Amino acid sequence: MKELTEPLLWAFDVSMMQNKFTDKKKSIDFTLGNLNLSIDLNKNIFLKKLNFIKNINNELFIIRVENKLIPKNKYKIEKVFKNTDVNLTVISIDFSQNFENDFFKGRISFVQKKKNIIDFIFQLSARWHKDIPKKVLLKFPFIINLHKNKNFLKPGDIFDGKKRIKKGVWNLHEYPPSIISDNLGIETLGFEFYDQFPWQANYNLGMSEAISSENFEKFETEVQLTQELTDIILMKIYTSSKGREKIFSLWKENTRKRYDLRKYRDSNNRWIKKNYLQHFMFAYGEEAFDYKKIQFKINKIIKEGKQFGGYDSILFWHQYPRLGLDESNQWQLYKYLPKNYKTIKKIVDICHSHNIKFFIPFKPWDIRSNESLDSHAKSLEKFIKETNIDGFFLDTMSSLPESFLKIQKKFPSFEFCSEGTPREQRQIETLTSSWDQIGDIRRNFKVDINSNFFRFLFPEHPLNLVSRWSVGSDKDALIKRAAFNGMGMVIWQDIFGCWLPFSIEQKKKIKSLKNILKKYHKYFYGDNSIPLIKTLSKKIICNEFSNSQGKQKIYSIYNFGSNKINGRILKLPLAVMEFKQIYGKKVNIQIEKKQNTFYLLANLDANDVILVNIKFKI
Amino acid sequence: MKSFVNKKIFIESNEYTYRVEHLTLEGTCSTDHGPRNVKIKNLLVDKYPVTNQQYYFFLKKTGYQPRDSQRFLEHKPNKKIFNLPVVFVSQNDAIAYAKWVGGRLPTDEEWQYIAAGPKYLDWPWGNKFNPLLCNHDGNKLVPVNTHRKGESWCGCVDMAGNCWEWTAGIHDDGNHQFALLRGGSYFYAHDHWHVGGGARKNNYHWKLQILNEGINRAATLGFRCVYDAK
Repeated sequence: MKELTEPLLWAFDVSMMQNKFTDKKKSIDFTLGNLNLSIDLNKNIFLKKLNFIKNINNELFIIRVENKLIPKNKYKIEKVFKNTDVNLTVISIDFSQNFENDFFKGRISFVQKKKNIIDFIFQLSARWHKDIPKKVLLKFPFIINLHKNKNFLKPGDIFDGKKRIKKGVWNLHEYPPSIISDNLGIETLGFEFYDQFPWQANYNLGMSEAISSENFEKFETEVQLTQELTDIILMKIYTSSKGREKIFSLWKENTRKRYDLRKYRDSNNRWIKKNYLQHFMFAYGEEAFDYKKIQFKINKIIKEGKQFGGYDSILFWHQYPRLGLDESNQWQLYKYLPKNYKTIKKIVDICHSHNIKFFIPFKPWDIRSNESLDSHAKSLEKFIKETNIDGFFLDTMSSLPESFLKIQKKFPSFEFCSEGTPREQRQIETLTSSWDQIGDIRRNFKVDINSNFFRFLFPEHPLNLVSRWSVGSDKDALIKRAAFNGMGMVIWQDIFGCWLPFSIEQKKKIKSLKNILKKYHKYFYGDNSIPLIKTLSKKIICNEFSNSQGKQKIYSIYNFGSNKINGRILKLPLAVMEFKQIYGKKVNIQIEKKQNTFYLLANLDANDVILVNIKFKI
Repeated sequence: MKSFVNKKIFIESNEYTYRVEHLTLEGTCSTDHGPRNVKIKNLLVDKYPVTNQQYYFFLKKTGYQPRDSQRFLEHKPNKKIFNLPVVFVSQNDAIAYAKWVGGRLPTDEEWQYIAAGPKYLDWPWGNKFNPLLCNHDGNKLVPVNTHRKGESWCGCVDMAGNCWEWTAGIHDDGNHQFALLRGGSYFYAHDHWHVGGGARKNNYHWKLQILNEGINRAATLGFRCVYDAK
C-alpha cells in the first residue's frame, strides 16, 4: 500500500482545510495515486490538468434550471476536505449557489482506494423555492473536452490512422472505459461510467449511452434534486503507464470483483465450456427429416457434422414456427412427434453414443395464462427424466429464471444456454452459456470482424457465434470473427425453412477453428486474455489469449485494411522461445529481435485473420 | 343439433389477378405470390367447411383409417358437435374424404377466388373487417353456419375464421415440404412469434411446414371441397 502514502500537493494555504474556504488563489493541484489533477476555482470550477492532458480548461459542470444557465462566477466554495489514511484517500470540494429563489449545494470528490483507480463523484442538492422542484439539466464540459481530445477512444474504438473506428463491441451493462493515451500510447487514462443499475438513482443516468453516442456534445442529463446531496456522476478513472491493455486489465479486475462466479467453477457443468459447435436442427426440412420414412435423420446429421469438425451439441427445434396454429403448447408438440417422447429419447441416445449433448428450446413467449415458469420447470424436469436431454436453450432470453435454476440442483450437469448474451450481473452469474448472435434481416447487415468485450471480461462464459441470415462473404466473415474472438459457433443452415448452407471451404475453416479451440482451450478460455491490444500497424487489430501463467499466448490478428501488410505487427512482451501460425491462410511470419525487444512480423493479406501461438522464455 | 345440407355453389370460370400476402415472420414460402394471371375453371364448391357429421358419415361408409392415426380426430366428434367443422385431419385425411365425395381440395389460387371474387374483396363479405361476421377471436369452434352474414360473394360461409382450411398440394422447394393454409381460425395466440391467428384476409396464406401426421393435424385445421364442373 505504499502508493497511498504519497503526499497530496496543495497549491494553497492549509487554512483551506478548515471549514471556511478563504484562500484567494483558489487553485488546487493534487496527486492521488497515479493521478495528477489541477482544479481552478477562480471563475468557476475548472479542471485544468489531468495527468498528461494539459490545458483542459473546462468547467466540470454546467447547470441549467428551467432552461436558464446558472451564471459562472457565482459558485461559492464552502469547504475543501481532505482525508488520507492507509486505506483511503479523499479530497472533496463543497460549493453552493443561490440562483433566483432556489439554493443549490454540490460536492466534487475524488476517492482513491487503489493506486490506479480513482472515483470521481459529483453530487448536487437543491432547496426549492416553496418546495416546488424545477427541471434541472446538467452538462459536463470537461468530459466533452476529453472526448474532443485527438487521442480519445470511446469503448472499443481504435484509430485506423485517420479516424476512430469501432472494432470492439460489448452488449452488457458493464461499459468498458473510454481511453485517452499520450501520443506514444503509453501513458493512458480510462474513464468508466459504472452503470449497473442506473434507474435506482440519479447517478450516471444516461452517461454510458452518451459516451457511446456521436452526439455527446449535445448530451444533457436530467436529474431530480432533493435537499440531500444526491450522486449525479460516479466516474472511475483508471491510470496506466502501460497503455490501454493495462486499463482493460484494471477494469476487468475491478468489474469481476463484484461478481459471484462460483457457478462457472462448478465441475458439474464443465462440459458446456467445450460446446464449441452447436448444431441447430430445424425439424422441418430435408436436412433433418426423412419425409418418406417419417423419421429424423440424426445419424446423417452427426455424419455431416464431421465436415465441421464434429458437433458438440445439437439443438432440436420444431415448435417455432408451428406454435399458435392451435392451443397446443410447446410441450404438447413433443407428444405429437412420431412415437411421442420416444422420438426425442432415441435421438438423444444416438447423440450420447457419439458424445454429443442434446438441447431442446424453451419458448417464454408461449407461456399461457394458465401456466407459469414453475409449471414449465416441472414439465422440463419430467422431460429430462423421460428423454435424458442435457440442456435447455432459452429462446429470445438472456437470463435464467429462478424456476429453472432449481432444475440444476436436481440435475447438476444440466445446462442452460440463452439466445441473448446475459447483460446484467445476476444473469451473468447464473446463466453460464449463451449465443453471441449478430445480424438483422431487415437491414443491410454486414458481419464485421471485431472484438467481443464480454468474451474477454468473462472468458469462462462460452459463447457460440451465429448470424443466421448471413450468406456468402458474410458467412466467411462470420468464421473469421469467430476465429478472431476464439469462440465457437452455431451451425445453423436451415433457417426456419430457408436453406442457407455453408460451403465446403467454409466447413473446412470451421473444422480447423474447432480443432484449434479444442487444442488450445486453456489459452482461449484463460483468465488473462485482452482484446484489442496495441499493434504496430493502424490497419491491424489483435486480441491476446492467455492464462495467468503467461508462458504461452495466442494472438488473433486481423488486417482490416484494403492492402496487404508486410512487416512488424506486434511488439512482444517477452523473449520468444517458439512461434507458429495455428489458423488461417498460411502466411510468412517471423520473429525479429532488436535491442532485446522481440517483434512479430507477418505478411498478411487484406481482410485476413490469422492466429499465432507464441511460447515465451520465462 | 339440427343438421343441414352443405350445398354446393357453382363458380363460373374466370380469370383473375392472383396476389397473395405471406406474413410469416421469418423466411419465405418459395411460391409465386403474384401478381399473376390465374384461370379458374368452372367449379362447384362446398358452401361450408366439411363438418364433423359429414366426416363421420364418410368414416362410417368407407371405414377409412389413416396410415398414421396420431391425433386423428382427437376432438372425438359426436352428435353434439356434428355441425362444427371437422378438424384434426391431415391433408391426406382431407384428400381421402374429398375423393370419396367426388371432389378435391381447392388450390391456393381457387380458394382465394372463392373468397375474394372478381371484385378482389379483402374479406369474404367486403373490404372492411367485421369481427361479428366471423369466428375471429373466440375460444372455440362454432357451427359452420353460424356466420351466414359473413358469406363470400358466391355464398360460401366461414371463409374467414373458425378453422383454417387445407388447400391442395404439397409444395417442395427442394429442401422442405409444405402446404398452404387459408382463412385463419378462431384461435388467436397472444404473441407475435405465434402463428398469426384469428380470421385472416382473403389474400393471406400461411405456410404449414410438413412433418409427421401428428404435427400436421391441429385443432383449428379443417377443409372444404371443390368439384370440377362443366
